Amino acid sequence: MSTRDDVVTQYRLVPEDFVKHLMTTLAIVVGVVLLAAIIFGVPEKQPLTIKGYSTAHPVAFEQMALRALDGTGQIANYGPPYNHGTGNVESFLQTTAGIIHPINAAQDFILKPLKMATSVNPAIKAPLASFAHATNAQRARWEALYTKALTKGVYRNGKVITPPGHYGPLPTLLNDSLALGQSGLYSGALIRNGSVITRFDNQNYLLFLQGAPLQKDPATQTLAGGNWGIIHPAINGYPGAWWMTIPTWIYQWPFVANSTASDALALSIGFLFWLALALTPWIPGWNKLPRYLGVHRLIWKEFYRNQPVDNPPGAVELGGGTRDAS
Amino acid sequence: MANWTESSKRMLSEVMSADTWLPTEMPEYAQGFMYMLGSLTASSFVVLVISGILLAMNGPDSWSYNGAMRFVAATHFWGVQAFFFFMMLHLWRVFFTGAWRGGRGLTWLLGAISFLIAIPTAFTGFLINGDLYSEWNAVQAKDGLNAMGLGWLNLTNSGQMFGMHVVVLPLLLTVFIALHITRVRTKSVVPPYPDVKVQPVSTEGVSKS
Repeated sequence: MSTRDDVVTQYRLVPEDFVKHLMTTLAIVVGVVLLAAIIFGVPEKQPLTIKGYSTAHPVAFEQMALRALDGTGQIANYGPPYNHGTGNVESFLQTTAGIIHPINAAQDFILKPLKMATSVNPAIKAPLASFAHATNAQRARWEALYTKALTKGVYRNGKVITPPGHYGPLPTLLNDSLALGQSGLYSGALIRNGSVITRFDNQNYLLFLQGAPLQKDPATQTLAGGNWGIIHPAINGYPGAWWMTIPTWIYQWPFVANSTASDALALSIGFLFWLALALTPWIPGWNKLPRYLGVHRLIWKEFYRNQPVDNPPGAVELGGGTRDAS
Repeated sequence: MANWTESSKRMLSEVMSADTWLPTEMPEYAQGFMYMLGSLTASSFVVLVISGILLAMNGPDSWSYNGAMRFVAATHFWGVQAFFFFMMLHLWRVFFTGAWRGGRGLTWLLGAISFLIAIPTAFTGFLINGDLYSEWNAVQAKDGLNAMGLGWLNLTNSGQMFGMHVVVLPLLLTVFIALHITRVRTKSVVPPYPDVKVQPVSTEGVSKS
């Protein structure tokens, strides 16, 4: 058996019906996929909507809206590509890329939708004007007091009621937000681009809900990154994106999980794993590993069995004869 | 300096040849289930393209109000699972057989790039589905892209994700899968390692046929 580049260079060619081979694999996949689709269907979990969340959790909805208004919400203080915040800045690449999708959470998430709602409910105009004309210090006082008050808030007759206090127009504004949310009209008010009639960009809808509403939703707990969630399906029993196992595993590494730049770290390390895979042919030692692992002896068991030491394969004719592998 | 036209002509003649694409013989070692895994992966991709075209023709949310489209969405979902399942088995097979030997490094690299592109291709599909899984993954994964300075890729913009999933990424994937398969066909599948257990010292110099 002569060798070159660590490959045998002599072997027999045997007859093959390649088209039949391709049709067979296609038939196998079509059969398996159709069968799985018939038996298991498709996993679909109802999304969390603003209407659903504001109806089920009116107090939490107002707390979330207040965080958007006072600038303590996750998106309000995120940083690039949304704004100048610092809450979620992980790398210089992020700051270099700049603000590509600008969001002013107070305006875009709360005040603009309420302004739109004034056309159907003019009573919102007065509290909106009161808020607009207040000084920053005054607003901050109202917001601090009402944040505290909402921890004791109860939902009654379509409104969140708190103990009396000096909250300015906030109770009215947030109850109006709540009513807008419960009506199902909030999603329309969060539209980002009023210049077009297509509704492709649902950024503000998703980012409005991305904090507590989605994070605390019982349905998303198995999907959380710390719980290996990237590879979990939304509905138990179905396969998820299991091919993301390595990046998901990297997210669990303590120094990654505890870092303020966990996403940047996990993705960068994951890319290095892929690079090692992609460059396998050129990495000394690593590119020789399979030869010593010996799994190839199982895969080519038949081939090796049919290669008598004293009878080189090149001497044997079968089907199309022999071929040089080079 | 080599004649570019001549070398292009030689390359094209080989790539466009029916002998390249419709072989009537195969090496004796390239037999059995292990050598079906690449074709099973490619077949899964064909199923994904067909079911994907049906979904695109009817709109990405048609599964939510139409029973027939829900079934097509199910075939698309299981097609993705089949695609990655067979691709992963294929990956293990080519790794354990050192498939990059004998000047096949580029074939391996093209396969690895296809794998890398397949990941966001699948992911953007999950994003345009519109269910809780879409919602959660869009807001969770955005942080990673933003951190890498790739914020222009807006996972919460369904229109952009639709374009990525049905045009940009599948086209890229098709190109790299096609290049990978072309290399496999023109360079053939890697021959076995010389088995040190049966290879006698005196085999050097055995004449080739």
